Amino acid sequence: MKEECQRALERVYLFLDGELLSSEERVEIRAHLEACRPCFERYGLEEVVTGLVARLRHAHRCPEHVRVRITSLLQ
Amino acid sequence: MADSPPPTLSEDDRLRFQRDALPLLDPLYGAALRMTRNPADAEDLVQETMLRAYRSFDRFEAGTNLKAWLFRILTNAYINVYRKRQREPQKVSTDQAEDFDLYQELRNHDSHFEETPESIVLDALVDSDILEAIDDLPEQFRLAVVLSDIEGFSYAEMAEIMDVPMGTVMSRLHRGRKALQKRLWDLARERGIVKGTLDERSKGPRGPDRVDEATR
Repeated sequence: MKEECQRALERVYLFLDGELLSSEERVEIRAHLEACRPCFERYGLEEVVTGLVARLRHAHRCPEHVRVRITSLLQ
Repeated sequence: MADSPPPTLSEDDRLRFQRDALPLLDPLYGAALRMTRNPADAEDLVQETMLRAYRSFDRFEAGTNLKAWLFRILTNAYINVYRKRQREPQKVSTDQAEDFDLYQELRNHDSHFEETPESIVLDALVDSDILEAIDDLPEQFRLAVVLSDIEGFSYAEMAEIMDVPMGTVMSRLHRGRKALQKRLWDLARERGIVKGTLDERSKGPRGPDRVDEATR
């Protein structure tokens, strides 16, 4: 793997998560992803998997009887 | 355990708690369910969390992040009370998962992968598959993935909630995501999603609980 790819992929989660990178670093990674197809595909795959997990956000609601019990305990 | 009477908060605090904390029951319950992997324990854990939070609500600094504060209490309550009862799943060894490379697996499996950037394999997995894969992760990794990718907490918030340094958060999240990818890949194989030709698979299983693309 090219050094440039290595460098981009090490930080791909930070980029994906919108974390801890300077704007220069973000520009650098974005430019690499635009220019390098394998890295772009890897990034896309990570994005797909985190997206699959993210859609579970509304998978469960707190059961009504629990809500009622808690509310009554807080009176 | 959860039945000691709550102390008297000021009327203001009581109303504020009801207004601001109670609407967070859904995400708290969802996370409790992923932690305990058992609805009855999740219900108890959420109740315990809310009572603990209520008791110490006078120490919550108004204007700071209430959701993160509640999740920290949830995590502590889980560690103190429930974890002792839990048995760790053995399905996923994170040692193996460390080097797992889903991208490479997909490419090796399917020479047409280049033409299917949003992989058919992942599209065929339904929400219940993803939940199962998450529930199979070892606890620390499961928690990191849940807090980050389901609840959308930042690394800094997760460091607070899990009471570990940011570097530990990043490492657990990274390893958790890798282990999850490995588990999803294994599930896809178990389900028979990964076999046969590309054409067969593109017509492949689409469960009734499949969530619409619009929610991505």
